[in-house]
Amino acid sequence: MSAMRLRIAYTKIEDARYIAHLDLTRVFERAVRRAGIAMSYTEGFNQRPKISFGFALAVGTEGEREYVDIDIQRELDLGDVLGRIQEQLPPGIRLLQGRALNQGAKPLMAVLNAASYRIRILMALPILPERLQEAVADWLAREQVIYSRFTKKGPTDKDIRPWVKRLEGEIHGDEIIFELEVEMGNAGSVRPEEVLASLRELENLPLDMEELHIRRTGVHVSYQGENSSPLEHDGFVQLAEL
Amino acid sequence: MSKFTAAEIRRQVERFLPKVLKPSRYLGSEWNAIKKDWANTEVHMAFAFPDVYEVGMSHLGTRILYHLVNSFPEFLCERVFAPWVDMEETMREKEIPLYALESFQPLQAFDVVGFTLQYEMSFTNILNMLDLAGIPLRSEERGPGDPWIIAGGPCAFNPEPLVGFIDFFLLGESEEQLPEVLHLIAEQKLNPLPRRDFLRKVAQVQGVYVPDFYHVTYKPDGRIESIEAEAGVPAVVEKAIVQDLDQAFFPTNPIVPYLEIVHDRMMLEVMRGCSRGCRFCQAGMLYRPVRERSQETLFKQMEELLRSTGYDEVALTSLSSGDYSCIQPVIESILEKHGEEGVGVSLPSLRVDSFDVDLAESVQKTRKSGLTFAPEAGSQRLRDVINKGVTEQNLLEAVEAAFQKGWSTIKLYFMVGLPTETQEDIDGIIDLAKKVANLGTKLGRRNITVTISTSFFVPKPHTPFQWEPQEAKASVDLKQRYLREKLRDRRFKYNYHDVKTSYLEAVFAKGDRRLAPLLEWAVKHGARFDGWGEQFREDIWMDAFKEFGIDPHFYANRVMDYDDILPWEHLESGVTKQFLVSEHHRALQESKTIDCRHEECTGCGICPGRGVQIDLKG
Repeated sequence: MSAMRLRIAYTKIEDARYIAHLDLTRVFERAVRRAGIAMSYTEGFNQRPKISFGFALAVGTEGEREYVDIDIQRELDLGDVLGRIQEQLPPGIRLLQGRALNQGAKPLMAVLNAASYRIRILMALPILPERLQEAVADWLAREQVIYSRFTKKGPTDKDIRPWVKRLEGEIHGDEIIFELEVEMGNAGSVRPEEVLASLRELENLPLDMEELHIRRTGVHVSYQGENSSPLEHDGFVQLAEL
Repeated sequence: MSKFTAAEIRRQVERFLPKVLKPSRYLGSEWNAIKKDWANTEVHMAFAFPDVYEVGMSHLGTRILYHLVNSFPEFLCERVFAPWVDMEETMREKEIPLYALESFQPLQAFDVVGFTLQYEMSFTNILNMLDLAGIPLRSEERGPGDPWIIAGGPCAFNPEPLVGFIDFFLLGESEEQLPEVLHLIAEQKLNPLPRRDFLRKVAQVQGVYVPDFYHVTYKPDGRIESIEAEAGVPAVVEKAIVQDLDQAFFPTNPIVPYLEIVHDRMMLEVMRGCSRGCRFCQAGMLYRPVRERSQETLFKQMEELLRSTGYDEVALTSLSSGDYSCIQPVIESILEKHGEEGVGVSLPSLRVDSFDVDLAESVQKTRKSGLTFAPEAGSQRLRDVINKGVTEQNLLEAVEAAFQKGWSTIKLYFMVGLPTETQEDIDGIIDLAKKVANLGTKLGRRNITVTISTSFFVPKPHTPFQWEPQEAKASVDLKQRYLREKLRDRRFKYNYHDVKTSYLEAVFAKGDRRLAPLLEWAVKHGARFDGWGEQFREDIWMDAFKEFGIDPHFYANRVMDYDDILPWEHLESGVTKQFLVSEHHRALQESKTIDCRHEECTGCGICPGRGVQIDLKG
């Protein structure tokens, strides 16, 4: 039984970006336990605390605003709960905002369907701004972008174009900053480094793939071209700002 | 390489960290990690575990000493582990020196690097880590600007293959000895003495062994002629012992790793030492006498651990926790108090003769994952030889109770190649496995799995079997193949160790300082992580023995005489040679020796004159 379901927005930056997705559950679980808050557990053979996340963030990629749902046993003051959990979290995980969900609210994985990224990448050779804009426009104009992904079963070709909703690039000194927005779903998605590798290859853009820094700036509930946060969904009880 | 600053190392490492396996191994920001101010501490120590993070962080001794040293305001202690091969490759390619996790300071910047010697197969990693740190491997090549390289742990009781690389060794329990050594190092930093004068001073600390002061000569046949100590250092180095375990330092704010480690739970050390007297067991001889912690102390530590870690499982650790005199009340009380919050208890090892099925049930919260027993040998005769004590009846009763309570997976551990072993003893393993499986079938359990694991016996220093040769690789290999054939049944699962690794382990366990240059050569040619099956490079080792004209059989397979001077003759565990000889005799007579905890003293020699005694709390 759960008395309260929390949906929390948090950062996963600095050292915390190296925490693997599978390990993140344990990090939250222990933090909540240290905070002295009783979690709700799954029923059955192997009981686990009810903690669930949205789409996994690749190891090493920073997340400016990620989400987690945690079920707790007793109804408590939201701000107090968030404050107590925050005290127990390792550096790089900062709670930004939280909400109490109604029972029966859809899980994160069911509502999130888009993500945006900011990618900083070094230019291997100098690139003119016009050349960059042209390359991006040409890439976006393609109806199909076949990318060869290496899987355990060998290379498989995949069309990555349908996933990309937005791609913009701007030169800053010796690097380019790309803003990328992609669709995500149960059928998969595209990784930011795949988009850039494809851009480099198909449009002959000299990007240094060894020197790139990826940050996920947000994950969204996207509906008819509008992005909203999973905290702005219907049916919330209270909202706490940190 | 030593030009790197901590900030520069961090900057460089962060560029490739996302590309290595399990990058959270290489951070120092885990919960409860201690980051002290470098400038405001007198002595900087790097505690080095020569294996990967997940293994090292699971080791209780490492955790105790890390927090102990940091509990002194004047000391700083950080951690370093052996980087996995992918990380090492990148670090070498980018010429990044090995760094300590908390500050990213290169090891070279520390005053002391202390290695723990848990198993012989990690010796190559020690040299490799020094090399990766850009620290000269040989003591004689290091100067006042280099850290002191020290080492402790069970293998320090025969550290001879590491002589020449390590400045001094710490024998025994370090809770009191290590701070004493670090205070001497603090003094040395203020008023430096010449190297040998400092070492002579350190050699006065209980349990400190400075190999430079001990000279070994050899007979023409290769055996040791003499081991002579220089004037002013003890002729025989005696281990350090913690007198009162109940009052001894124990960390209740241990580091909580990000990634899952081998033993990912809270640990409560319920006792130290074991006097069961298994004749193959080195730990049973090295950590005498038995000293227990009181329930009150354990309960207090438990509360603190829960609050500081957030773990939901606690392991009650020791060499044989079922023998702890207050085990029942401790488990009951923990479960009563915290069971509802989902806190479980685990026991790492259970003996069949102290097995209690209700106890086992209470520690297996929800899943009955399998029970492990270690009869060690397949026949009563051989179990008497090794003084394992347990009988077939003990085992079958324990297994029966387990099957009745719903377990269907039983794991049995055995050793192959034990002294006096015959074909009958090997058949005894098969026999026992079948009896266990049949018992399960008879009791109506379906889907029974009996997992049988065999390891290859390695004779260890300071045990009654130290004079015994290891059995030939080829014949043990045949025995294991035979077992594999005979245990082809869907009810059985058979696991066995690679004989090549255990053979090398025997060479180094019984080795002397003539192996040191060979070890260095093997590391230079790529040997590392020898305990990790897929990393073990037998070819390098065989080339190394050839290169130095050293016959590995001389160490692993030679019968040693009681009169032989052993490479560890000058290092004392407290158990007398006389006792070990008598135990060896009794082994060959298939005669058992009792546990001094419950009956009279067996005369092992540990208690008299050391101010220690058996300390039971129940």
